[in-house]
Amino acid sequence: MDPKPDSSLPFLPKSLGVKVGMLLAVSILVALALVGYVLHARGVFEDFRRLTLVADNVDGVSAGMDLTFAGFPIGRVRRLSLGKDGKARIHIRVPVEQAHWLRTSTVFLLEVPLVGGARIRAHTASLDDPPLPDRAERTVLRGDASEEIPRMVATMRAVLENINDMTDRGSSLQESLRNTRTVTERMAGKYGVLGGVLGGEEHARRVVQVLDRTNALLASLDGLVAKTGERVLGPGGIADETQKAIAQAGAILGEVRQRLKAVDAILADAQAAAASTKTATGNVAAATAELGALRAEVEASLRKVGALIDEINRKWPFERDTKIKLP
Amino acid sequence: MAFGGEIILRPRSWRRLLRFGAFATAAALSPSTYGPQARAVAVRQIYLTAWKVLPGYLAFTALLSVVIIEVVRNGARAYGLSQVALELVLRVLVLELIPFLTALFVALRSGAAIGAEIALMRVSGQLEDEEEAGRSPLHEELVPRVVGAALAVFSLTTLAIALAMYLSYALFFGGSNAGLIVFTRVVGQVFDLQIFVGLLLKCLLFGVAVAVIPLATGLEAEPGQPGSMPAAVLAGLMKLFLVIGLIEILSLMVKYV
Repeated sequence: MDPKPDSSLPFLPKSLGVKVGMLLAVSILVALALVGYVLHARGVFEDFRRLTLVADNVDGVSAGMDLTFAGFPIGRVRRLSLGKDGKARIHIRVPVEQAHWLRTSTVFLLEVPLVGGARIRAHTASLDDPPLPDRAERTVLRGDASEEIPRMVATMRAVLENINDMTDRGSSLQESLRNTRTVTERMAGKYGVLGGVLGGEEHARRVVQVLDRTNALLASLDGLVAKTGERVLGPGGIADETQKAIAQAGAILGEVRQRLKAVDAILADAQAAAASTKTATGNVAAATAELGALRAEVEASLRKVGALIDEINRKWPFERDTKIKLP
Repeated sequence: MAFGGEIILRPRSWRRLLRFGAFATAAALSPSTYGPQARAVAVRQIYLTAWKVLPGYLAFTALLSVVIIEVVRNGARAYGLSQVALELVLRVLVLELIPFLTALFVALRSGAAIGAEIALMRVSGQLEDEEEAGRSPLHEELVPRVVGAALAVFSLTTLAIALAMYLSYALFFGGSNAGLIVFTRVVGQVFDLQIFVGLLLKCLLFGVAVAVIPLATGLEAEPGQPGSMPAAVLAGLMKLFLVIGLIEILSLMVKYV
């Protein structure tokens, strides 16, 4: 068998070398681009600020984790180490263009949720504070949901025991409920709320009796008042009689007035007689003057009696006739 | 005549394989190997293994990537873990599945062919004839094939990874470049130094295995006995699958165990 160098390649196209060269060139370019992209993604070409966070416990933290600020990743954990003081150290790199979010007043929080990985967050209260220097070392505050669980379980157990005690047979809550039930049963009984409040039908019955008696008393009082009113104000009652007596007094006074008028007339006649006899008897003048004084006195008495009648008419409410007959 | 299952269990066969692998690697690294004949064989090997299958392989990768990305994305969303979906896709698809599938694909497409070709040369006595004629069949026939197959694996893996990463971005963020910052951050998280070196090493090992094992096992065919050919080829494929699986498992163990 004569070996021929190209005997195995008779069916290959001429441009084979070019195609394979292109394929290899493209593959190498793509590979270089991928490597470059990965290195870029790893942040190899970026300038960094270094930051070290000190924590008691870095459970759940791993290299490659993000440091977030307002939910945006601004840095990445490079590695973890254990310091000589027994505290864990988280070494973080923050690209220079993101470093301005971190200030001297920035607080760092390490959160370990129940589900999912840990998170490191930065809170900056004021962006006016001086920027965090390179290679700064800060303590990180740890908020760990799983650490809370045992404490929560203990509290829950205490609460459940309390509830258990409360709902146990003979517990005060049960007693209260039983009492409440007794009271409500009484309230639903014959005497209603009264029975519930007074603590039994017997007491309630007595109260009802007292009320009944009070009612009867009030009814008899009503009759009494009616009778009293009849006696005082009815026909032939006290008021009526009084009015009659006053009317009689008025009549008597009227009679007195008539008499006084008659006296007055007699006195006037006597004055006239005296005047006619003045000329006859000159000495009678003095006597006549005295008669004038007497008449004036009678007039005064008459006026007083009239005033008295007015007074009585005013003060006595049953007499509506306010007319006063004057002489 | 021996069955593949017997050859695969022979320690002598594995020793020969390792020796051949060492020789081939040493020869591949020496520039004197690449004469015109060797270059032609290598170019032909790359052409057959990579260029001819490239469209079909990329279409297969694209389909597989789309399906896996969608499965992971929807699954993660259903469990409320959308934020880890992209990382999961990159880890599963780019770091594990695509290199593994590429190695298997090249093994099936070309490993069997290379093994059969070498076994045929061995049976027909062509290799011995060349050796007697003062030429080195190792340098002129075997090493170029190894180099060609390894470069083909490298080329296919690189292009498939690039395609899968592009599809991941496109399916997660659509056509806009708005997700580039997030995507870059996740890529930076996934590809730390260890993982990245591990990926390169794994791809290299896959390439070497795919190139060396079928070829070395093809040499197990007995000269002048055509009946020994199928067993040698089959044993080559079985060894190759075993080694590819072991490399993958080893890489997963190093990364995650």
